[in-house]
Amino acid sequence: MPLVQNTQLGPLEYSSGDTIAFPFGIPGFDQEHEFVLVHSVAHQPLLFLQSTRTPELSFVTLPVAQIDPGYHLELTSDDSAALDHGEYLVLAILTAAENCPVTANMLAPVVINLTTRVALQAVRSDSRYSHCHVLGEPVCS
Amino acid sequence: MLVIRRRPGEAVLIGSDVEIEILEASGSHVKLGIRAPREIPVVRKEIQLVEQQNRAASQKASAQGLSQLLHVLQRQNSHNTGKLR
Repeated sequence: MPLVQNTQLGPLEYSSGDTIAFPFGIPGFDQEHEFVLVHSVAHQPLLFLQSTRTPELSFVTLPVAQIDPGYHLELTSDDSAALDHGEYLVLAILTAAENCPVTANMLAPVVINLTTRVALQAVRSDSRYSHCHVLGEPVCS
Repeated sequence: MLVIRRRPGEAVLIGSDVEIEILEASGSHVKLGIRAPREIPVVRKEIQLVEQQNRAASQKASAQGLSQLLHVLQRQNSHNTGKLR
């Protein structure tokens, strides 16, 4: 089984069936086309999005439903076509800088089609949500 | 900021390499056609914001920040589970 080194969790084994394809990468990381979604009982409900290509690259994420149960996903027509139909998991990437409150990117959730195992970061074109929403505060403008 | 009024079918030139044409304008939407060399990236403005945010997010997460967050989330989730019973 392939192995990858996660900075938060240490070495992780995964199988090729666990991988998620990001054909377009994500903004700022256009060459990153494959990640695995890592669950850790000690860290739930957080999920780690770990690059299989770059061991030092992983994102801490949280399902948007945990932040705003009423979150309404709005995909551009390009994103919608690229993702196709299926069961979606919608995650917000968290930023946890030293001495700052943890923030969630609600403007651009990572949308994973669990059926096809294809994903992308869907940047909204409206301004309803913030790219650095402080967790614990009310969500919409 | 330079402000120029254009109608659909009209265009603006930026430098010698970039042309922006207004293709359609209706209601609250404008459709733009952009001709630029491959080396010049053309993206929706909010993409750059997200790029910056992703880079910040990819830095090693503060262990203290995460553990405080987990504390709040796990307490929030166990409270909700309690309500459902």
